[in-house]
Amino acid sequence: MTDQISEGYVILMTGLLIVFSALVTLMLFFKYGLPLMLYTYKIITKGKEKKISEIKVVADRDFTGEMSAAIGAAVHMYLREQHDHESAILTIKQVKKPYSPWSSKIYGTQNRL
Amino acid sequence: MKKVIVIFCVLSLLIFIRPALGLGTNTNSNNINSSKTTEQVDTIEESNSYSGAFEGLQQFYNYTGFANVTSGHAIMILIGIIFIFLGIKYDYEPLLLIPIGTGVILGNIPFVAGNQTGIYETGSVLNYLYFGVVKGIYPPLIFLGIGAMTDFSSLIANPKLMLLGAAAQIGVFATFLGALYLGFSLPEAGAIGIIGGADGPTAIFLSSKLANGINILADGTTVKNLIGPIAIAAYSYMALVPVIQPPLMRLLISKKDRKIKMKPPRAVTQKEKMIFPIVALILTLFISPSALPLLGMLFFGNLLKESGRTERLADTARTKLIDIVTILLGVTVGASTQADIFITKDSMLIFGLGAISFIIATCGGLMFAKLMNLFLKGDNKINPLIGAAGVSAVPDSARVVHHEGLKSDPSNYLLMHAMAPNVSGVIGSAIAAGIILSFLG
Repeated sequence: MTDQISEGYVILMTGLLIVFSALVTLMLFFKYGLPLMLYTYKIITKGKEKKISEIKVVADRDFTGEMSAAIGAAVHMYLREQHDHESAILTIKQVKKPYSPWSSKIYGTQNRL
Repeated sequence: MKKVIVIFCVLSLLIFIRPALGLGTNTNSNNINSSKTTEQVDTIEESNSYSGAFEGLQQFYNYTGFANVTSGHAIMILIGIIFIFLGIKYDYEPLLLIPIGTGVILGNIPFVAGNQTGIYETGSVLNYLYFGVVKGIYPPLIFLGIGAMTDFSSLIANPKLMLLGAAAQIGVFATFLGALYLGFSLPEAGAIGIIGGADGPTAIFLSSKLANGINILADGTTVKNLIGPIAIAAYSYMALVPVIQPPLMRLLISKKDRKIKMKPPRAVTQKEKMIFPIVALILTLFISPSALPLLGMLFFGNLLKESGRTERLADTARTKLIDIVTILLGVTVGASTQADIFITKDSMLIFGLGAISFIIATCGGLMFAKLMNLFLKGDNKINPLIGAAGVSAVPDSARVVHHEGLKSDPSNYLLMHAMAPNVSGVIGSAIAAGIILSFLG
């Protein structure tokens, strides 16, 4: 009996210690580890973006603002004038109505079933 | 129309007459038989057939519940009805109390043993369903659903609140010790202690592993089957959280402290939410591998929810799956309270210990929150009331904290803050269960 209880105390102490340590590690991770991870991830991904942005745009000196305005206007007009192509085929669909007795005369008051 | 009625009447008459005709033929054959046997004494014939019928009736009566009912059955059926009543009338966890209450009635219908009826008879239908409880299958499935429901963002935003979930586990270990002092063996005490974790599935899981009536102790005796009492105690105290916790909160936390307003939690990115289940899964299970079925499923369910790609699976886990398992779990746990096994001195002790463990767990959370406040400064201070949410009982205890906060300051909304210790309480009690299991399993 006393042996059991002393073992119980051991379990009590170690158990509480482990529960606390588990949640403390979780806490520490999410307090310090996770922001660090996200920060490094950000740096890594930013590095990649830099590589892409390193491609140099060679300026064309002959390309003036007037030209780009003209191109822009042309594209705008083209898009505005554009019609969507509609099918020119006309068909008359036969409409089949299912039988509906809503106004049927056979259900009138004069006719008995 | 008249014709139809007439035909119906004739048919029903025929149906009613047929057994009468059948009875007639039976009596005829009886007469033939008896005439063969009773050629010598005519007078015995009648009394024989009467006594036969009487014996049949008596045998039938012996099989009915009326003949086998004991006061234990009657008490348990009454308890079942009270559970159902509480669930319907006062809305105390009706999703649990109504299945359990019905189960209690089912399990305590008196019957003659040997017909594969009772939950403890191998081969009976209830016994097969109970298998999921005995082998600890249902609790991890419920945890899967809970994981798919839970939003850990408040915990991620304020990780220090995790400690409150750990502090409330003091209740588990204190009860464990109390049970040892009352003379329970180590595994039984471990299973009883987990009631303080205020987590039904965890309690069932641990008791099915430790106090299942199958394991053999070091001194050669078998452990007692305590799954029923422990589960009922855990669930009924969970339902009673709104009754148990507020007085303790008012007792331990001063009025000034109750009014502390916490700063709103920061927004948590989706990336953090996705990382949380994976990291928490690995970290917690490396520390306490025995909690694998519970925590594994919990974080798996959460990953399904947060990954953003498996919404279908998460949806099933948090609706249909958890509903199915809750039905089966509730009914079978209820039915496992068969009077001859349930009404014992041990059950009464377990109920007492359960109440104490709940109180200790709540106090542990509250006191630890006060302790944390000593080290926190300015608007980082936490409202000590949320410590009470460290006992899991998701989300009831968080709701109770919220209401209690509103009572002292109608503009103080604590629900989001209280959810953090609440969910960490789930993790904490599962870890505690894992530790106890690894020590005693």
